[in-house]
Amino acid sequence: MRTSSIGAIAGVVALALSSIVLAQDAVPGLTGVPQRPTTLYNKLDAAGGKAGPAPRRDLSGSWTGPLEPLKLGDVPALTPLGQQRFKLNIPDPFRAHSNDPWATCDPFGFPRSTTNETRGVTFAPLPGRLAIMTQYGRIWRTVWMDGRELPKNVGARGGPDPRWYGYSVGHWEGDYTLVVDTTGVNDKTWVDRRGYPHSVDMRAQERYTRVDHDTLELTVTVDDPKIYTKPFVAVTNRFKWIPNQEDEEQFCVPSEMIDYIKIIALPAGQEAVTGQK
Amino acid sequence: MKLGLVASLTLAAGILMIGFPLAAHHGNVAYDTSKAVILKGATVTKFVWANPHVFIMFEAKNDKGDVLHWAGEAGSPSALGPLGWSSSTLQPGDVITVYIYQSKTGNPVGRLNRIVLADGTVLKDSALGYRDE
Repeated sequence: MRTSSIGAIAGVVALALSSIVLAQDAVPGLTGVPQRPTTLYNKLDAAGGKAGPAPRRDLSGSWTGPLEPLKLGDVPALTPLGQQRFKLNIPDPFRAHSNDPWATCDPFGFPRSTTNETRGVTFAPLPGRLAIMTQYGRIWRTVWMDGRELPKNVGARGGPDPRWYGYSVGHWEGDYTLVVDTTGVNDKTWVDRRGYPHSVDMRAQERYTRVDHDTLELTVTVDDPKIYTKPFVAVTNRFKWIPNQEDEEQFCVPSEMIDYIKIIALPAGQEAVTGQK
Repeated sequence: MKLGLVASLTLAAGILMIGFPLAAHHGNVAYDTSKAVILKGATVTKFVWANPHVFIMFEAKNDKGDVLHWAGEAGSPSALGPLGWSSSTLQPGDVITVYIYQSKTGNPVGRLNRIVLADGTVLKDSALGYRDE
């Protein structure tokens, strides 16, 4: 009995968390129905207006985005190890057997923090480094700007430990593009919601280009020869400057999800509508 | 042997989910969006300002005069904020009018179109609130 009650709770949690996935693309229960989501970024995007020139070597402040659905890149052929790892990852928590780490509110890790949700990003310069803070889940990463090199032996004996968000260093290319290189990411995390894996040795690069004062474009590239036969673009994203700089808050909160599923999703009978039992 | 909570949950979730595929998938709609049900004189019992979605629990009478316990979901707090909602929008005991797309199961649960407060304030949902019902 104890096991079954725990199972019921766990099932509810898994279902609850899975609804986040639809929440980005559409509202659970309303899939396929035209909607007009009203969000901060959509309002700003609709507002339009003429932005001034970008300041030199400065992204500091809060941005909102994606302005349109995130564009995940085309993934090249996987290596044999990559294929083996990819087969173990079962995306879409709405599926019965999904093992998406999102389903338990685990940290996205990097680069998934740039390929999933985002909602907004804040750049906060500190002496010798830069904090990049992603709105969804309040993710805080440190990017060293003091010219140091990335650690080369993460996870090896005597080397630093892998981390959820790895180790990052950054530099400017020209006056408007910030380049951030990252390695040493815990390989439990996925590249994106599709379940693409990565190794601890992955090198990922973010390129943030400030097109004008109000517009920021991001391209994330993954280079992981253990897993992929060639480098690829993981995602492209676009952010808009928030005029009043008041960012929002959004978390994956297990207890709230449990309530939501118990009170809304299960009685709404979404599984019944799909014909699944 | 005592399993840790996380291990228990994970194991149980695995066991449960193998035998019990859950939830909506592509192209399915749980709610009847063809027409909103209008519930006047609804009494709020609980207002939950939470992720992924805000929801209102309320009581309303059906045609026969029976009191039904409803739950109606709306968008996320960050989607509703720009539309004038806040965590203090509703209190238990508030009497409101609810426009809601009910579950196709017939259960008293649905997605809000909008609510109207006692003072006449109209608060629309972020997804389908643009529709005049």
